[in-house]
Amino acid sequence: MSNLSVLLNGKIGNLFLNFKHHFKNDGITILYGPNGSGKTTIISALGGFIDNIETKIIFNGKELHDTGKYPPNKRPFGTMFQNPILFEHLTVEENLDFVIKRNQIKTQNKITITKEYLINYLELNSFLKRSPANLSGGEKLRVVLARTILKQPDYLLLDEPMSDLDIKYKAKLLVFLKDINKKFKIPMLYITHSIEEISQIGDQIVLIKDGKKIDSGRVADIINKSSFGDLTGKFELSSILEGMVVSYDQNLHITNLNLNGQNLVVPGLPGDLNEIVRFRIRSRDILISSSRLDTKITENELQGFISMIEIENNSPFSELVILLKNFKNNGIKQKLRARITTYNLKNMKLSLNDSVFIYVSSVSIDRQAYQSK
Amino acid sequence: MDIYHHLSSDFTAILITLKLAVVTCFFLALIGTPLAYFLAFKSKKTKPLIETIVTLPLVLPPTVIGFYLIIIFSPKTALGKIFIILTGEQLIFSFYGLVLASIIYSLPFWVQPLQASFEKIGRDTIRTSYSLGASPLDTFFNVIIPLCKRGFFTSLIISFAHTLGEFGIVLMVGGGIHGKTKVIAISIYDHVEQLSFGKAHFLAGGMLILSFIILLTLFYFNKRTVVRVK
Repeated sequence: MSNLSVLLNGKIGNLFLNFKHHFKNDGITILYGPNGSGKTTIISALGGFIDNIETKIIFNGKELHDTGKYPPNKRPFGTMFQNPILFEHLTVEENLDFVIKRNQIKTQNKITITKEYLINYLELNSFLKRSPANLSGGEKLRVVLARTILKQPDYLLLDEPMSDLDIKYKAKLLVFLKDINKKFKIPMLYITHSIEEISQIGDQIVLIKDGKKIDSGRVADIINKSSFGDLTGKFELSSILEGMVVSYDQNLHITNLNLNGQNLVVPGLPGDLNEIVRFRIRSRDILISSSRLDTKITENELQGFISMIEIENNSPFSELVILLKNFKNNGIKQKLRARITTYNLKNMKLSLNDSVFIYVSSVSIDRQAYQSK
Repeated sequence: MDIYHHLSSDFTAILITLKLAVVTCFFLALIGTPLAYFLAFKSKKTKPLIETIVTLPLVLPPTVIGFYLIIIFSPKTALGKIFIILTGEQLIFSFYGLVLASIIYSLPFWVQPLQASFEKIGRDTIRTSYSLGASPLDTFFNVIIPLCKRGFFTSLIISFAHTLGEFGIVLMVGGGIHGKTKVIAISIYDHVEQLSFGKAHFLAGGMLILSFIILLTLFYFNKRTVVRVK
C-alpha cells in the first residue's frame, strides 16, 4: 500500500494554501475543487517545483521535501502537466525513448510496463516516426500518457488530462488508466472538473477549496454529500449505487442489475455476469411517490425510506436522502439522493422515515459512468 | 611593391578582425548563454536591472563605453595591474583589451535572441524534462540546446557580424595599432583619410558583401526569427 502524506502551508500569489492530507490507497484519488483552489499547486509541489512555502511531503518513508536529496528529477512520480509538452526536436518514438533511457535502474522489483505494450494499447504505431508538431490533440495526449507511464513511476500525478478530448476517446482512455492502475499497481492522483470522470474512475476523492481540504473519502460516499454539492452546485448532485449484473438482453441491449434484492434496468452492458458495477444517477432525474404507481412510467421502480429531508431556504427545491430497502438483509446500505421541488414534497405530505417508491428512467443512467468494481 | 605592402597590411587587419570576432563569440557563448538562461528563467526581482545593464551598450554612443573602458583598462587600476602581472603588457591598446571591449559591446546581441528563444520554449518544457528524470545539465544539453538551435544560430551570426563592424570602441581602446589592434573598420577610415579610395573600396566592398551574405544566410535559415533591437 502506497503512503503519501502531504502538508503545504504558505502564500502563493493570491492563494493561501493550507493543505494537509494523507493519501493512503493504491487506487485512483480524485482532487476536486473550483479553479484557483490550489489543485495544480499541490501537483507542482509534489513534483518539487514549488520552493517558497512550507512543504512536507513524505512518500513511503522518504522525505521528498528534502530538495537536496530529492530534486525534481529524482522524485518517484510520473507527472502529466495541465498543458502537456512533447519535445519537438524528437520524434514520437524518441520522446518515449527519452524517458526509458533515464529510468532504467530502478525497475527491478516491479512489473515493468513495456514500450510495446503501451504502443499497442494506445494505438501509437501509425505515428511513431512522426514529429509531435504534426499530431492531433488526442494523439499528442496519448503519447504524453505513454511517456509519463514509461517512467515506471511509483505514483502518477495527472492534472486534467482529458480536458481537451472528445467523449468517445475519453471513455477509452479512462478504461486505460483504470487498467494501468490495477495491473501495475500504480496509484494515481487525478485532477478533474468532470463528474463523469470522477464517478467512472475515482476510488477516493479529496475536496479542496481556497487552498484548504474540505472533505475526503470514498467517491461513492462523498458524491452525494452536501460538501460536494456545495462545490458543484446542487444541480449536479448525484448518487453512486452498486448492483450485480444478473442478466443481459441482447435484443434490447439492456442489463438487469440486482441491488440487494431490487431490480434495476440499465442501458448497455456495464460488466460481466455476477460482476458488481457502480453507476451514477443524478438527483434531479429521480421521481418520488408515496404510493405505488399502477402504470409503468419507467423501467425502474425501487423502494426505500426517507432518511433525511433538507428544505432549502429561498429556493424552490428540497433534497431528500433515501435509504434503499435491502431485501437480502445482507447489511449493505445504499443511499440515493433526490432533488425535488418543495411544492411536490408538501403535496405528497412526505416526512422522515416514510416508505417511498422511486422511479428512475434507464435513459438517465449515465452509460459513461459505469465502473466495474 | 608599395601596393603589395598595403595589401598585406590590409590582410593583417582582416586576420585580426576575424580573430577578434571568433574569440569574442567564444567568450560570449560562455558568458552570454548562462546570462540569457538566468534572465529567461531564474531572475525575478533583479531582472529589470540586469536587462538594463546588458542592453546599455545598444543605446550608449561607443565613445562613452570606450572612454570608461580606457579608464578601467589603464595600468593604474587593479584590473590593469593584474593584467600586467599576468602577461607583462598593458591591457589598454592590446588585443585582449579589444576582446574584452567587444564582449561588452556585443553582449546584448548574444543575450537578447537567446533569451527570447529560451522564453519561447518556456518553463513547462524544463519542468517536463525534470519530471521525466533528466538532470538540469542533461536537460540543458539534450532538450534546451536542440530546441533553441535557431536562437543560438541567430545569436552567433548577429554577434559575429556586429563584432566585425565595430569602430568607435575599438579605436579608443585599441588605438588602431598596425598588426595588433588595427581592424578592418579602422583601416577603411585610414584609407579614406588618405584619400586612397581604391583601397577603401576593396575593404568596404568586402565588408558589405560579407555582411550581406551573413545576414542573408541568417534570414534564409531562420525565417521566423525577428532580430530585436531595443
